[in-house]
Amino acid sequence: MVKVDDYEVLEGLYYSKDYLWIKVEDGKARIGITDYAQKQLREVVFAELPSVDDEIVKGEPFGTLESVKAVSDLVAPLSGKVEEVNEEVMDSPEILNEDPYGNGWLILISPTNLDEELNDLMDFEAAVEWHKELIKEG
Amino acid sequence: MPRKIVIVGANAAGAEAAVAARKTDREAEIILVNKEDTRTYSRCGLPFVLGGQIPSFENLIVYPPSFYRMMKFDLRLGTTAVDLNTEAKTVELVDKEGKTETIEYDSLILATGSHPFKPPIDGIDKEGVFSLHTIKDGEAILKAMKKAKSAVIIGSGLIGLETAIAFLDQGIKATVIEMLPSILPRLLDRDMAREVQLRLERKGLRIIVGKAAEAIVGNERATGVLVGGEEIEADIVVVAAGVRPNTELAQKAGIEIGETRGIKTNIRMETSAKDVYAAGDCAETTHIITRRPALPLLGTAAVREGKVAGVNAAGGYAVFPGSLFSTVSQLSDFEIGATGITEFWASRFGLDVIVGKISGHTRATYYPGAKTIKVKLLVERETKRIVGGQIVGGEDVTQRINALSLAIQMNMTVYELAKADTCYAPSVCETWEPIVLAAEMAIKRL
Repeated sequence: MVKVDDYEVLEGLYYSKDYLWIKVEDGKARIGITDYAQKQLREVVFAELPSVDDEIVKGEPFGTLESVKAVSDLVAPLSGKVEEVNEEVMDSPEILNEDPYGNGWLILISPTNLDEELNDLMDFEAAVEWHKELIKEG
Repeated sequence: MPRKIVIVGANAAGAEAAVAARKTDREAEIILVNKEDTRTYSRCGLPFVLGGQIPSFENLIVYPPSFYRMMKFDLRLGTTAVDLNTEAKTVELVDKEGKTETIEYDSLILATGSHPFKPPIDGIDKEGVFSLHTIKDGEAILKAMKKAKSAVIIGSGLIGLETAIAFLDQGIKATVIEMLPSILPRLLDRDMAREVQLRLERKGLRIIVGKAAEAIVGNERATGVLVGGEEIEADIVVVAAGVRPNTELAQKAGIEIGETRGIKTNIRMETSAKDVYAAGDCAETTHIITRRPALPLLGTAAVREGKVAGVNAAGGYAVFPGSLFSTVSQLSDFEIGATGITEFWASRFGLDVIVGKISGHTRATYYPGAKTIKVKLLVERETKRIVGGQIVGGEDVTQRINALSLAIQMNMTVYELAKADTCYAPSVCETWEPIVLAAEMAIKRL
């Protein structure tokens, strides 16, 4: 793990510019929000997530996170079928703030076009550079 | 095509409207226009930077640039809306380089705020005369404070008193001049205002009531203020004689202005023009007690109205119930608060009220640190409903005002309040809650 300014970025994950991380696990993909995203949202009070067996499509919203002052669509970084949904996040959205890379994961999907779509995501090194740019922009 | 929402003004009402609009419509194009070249900031915090409690005006800025990016707000700073055509649904913007752009909108929110009222006092345009409404104003005053030994504040509203205390905190001698017979005339009756005045005078603030400032003296630069034949020395003069709604753009567009001189709105914050909303200091709403048009000029009303305007402008449905003018402030080492109407305003609006008043303590009297607290309750004689409350005390005023405001909103009678099941522990309050005792006092007079 490295810290870019105040924001944690984890090794071994892929990242999308919609502030999501993607962890590939035996051909499946676990998706969550980055530390940067949770800090921008501040206290998350509401999470709307898809149901198991829903299809998500790369580039399209699959859910919403809402805080008192902000709202953000969750834009799918990959296409695929939802295998698991983190029910705990819906009951206690504050775990997104407490542990965005761990207990605060959002969904696990079976990607339909993993190899090709992974090319559009950032790896750890690229994500660190991207975070530096974000911080420069304020 | 996504809905296009233009919001004119990006402070309390405008920013809140933008957030509510985004929560309602995730696809909408939201253009947030701000005349000032500063991101959304808390105007109410300005006096506390002068007083040194807040290190810098930067601290009052609410969101980083990334927030506007994440919320997909098109934020245009230093940009003024100069013309509005409600038929063609277009608004003309001029940016800081002087470039003009006409943009179309589906819905538009006027959150144009207010400006300080400049009373017709001789010499008011002299150097060294300020008002405190923007960060720029604050920076100018802060600079002047570095060499100042004395200050006069014209007006004893909350901004006037908070600024006067900031001067005292920084070792500057301060005098407040109030034209009306008592201070805080919008908030408190004379009896409660008297209590506040005594407390402030004990802190070293000089207060002159019932006299108008006649002139600001000095050559180019203010050196004093003439009042009641006396010249009071002042290196700084702050004019805090209230604010007036900014309605120029609305008036030019033919939008109806109400009797309070604010932009007339309905419960959805809609103006007389289709798809045009108004919120915040520029908007006229209803007073919950009098049911008459009212202009709260408060940050709390601004954010509530802004939220309602934002939801509606984005295609949702929300209503604003009107305002009770609930207000709180800390002045030096004590707090004051008010909600609903005062005796003065009750008589103005023909409401027959009785009063319940009590002095109590904020903790058990034997417990160290107990502070005095004075509660005044107003009850409408015929309905027995609580219609107003004023509190001056050493601590814990805020949540008592909130409780009273809630009681008023829920149409509670004074009999119900007298039976309120309040809590008790010696270290944090008295056995009998002062607002409950004030209710009992009112019942005695019914």
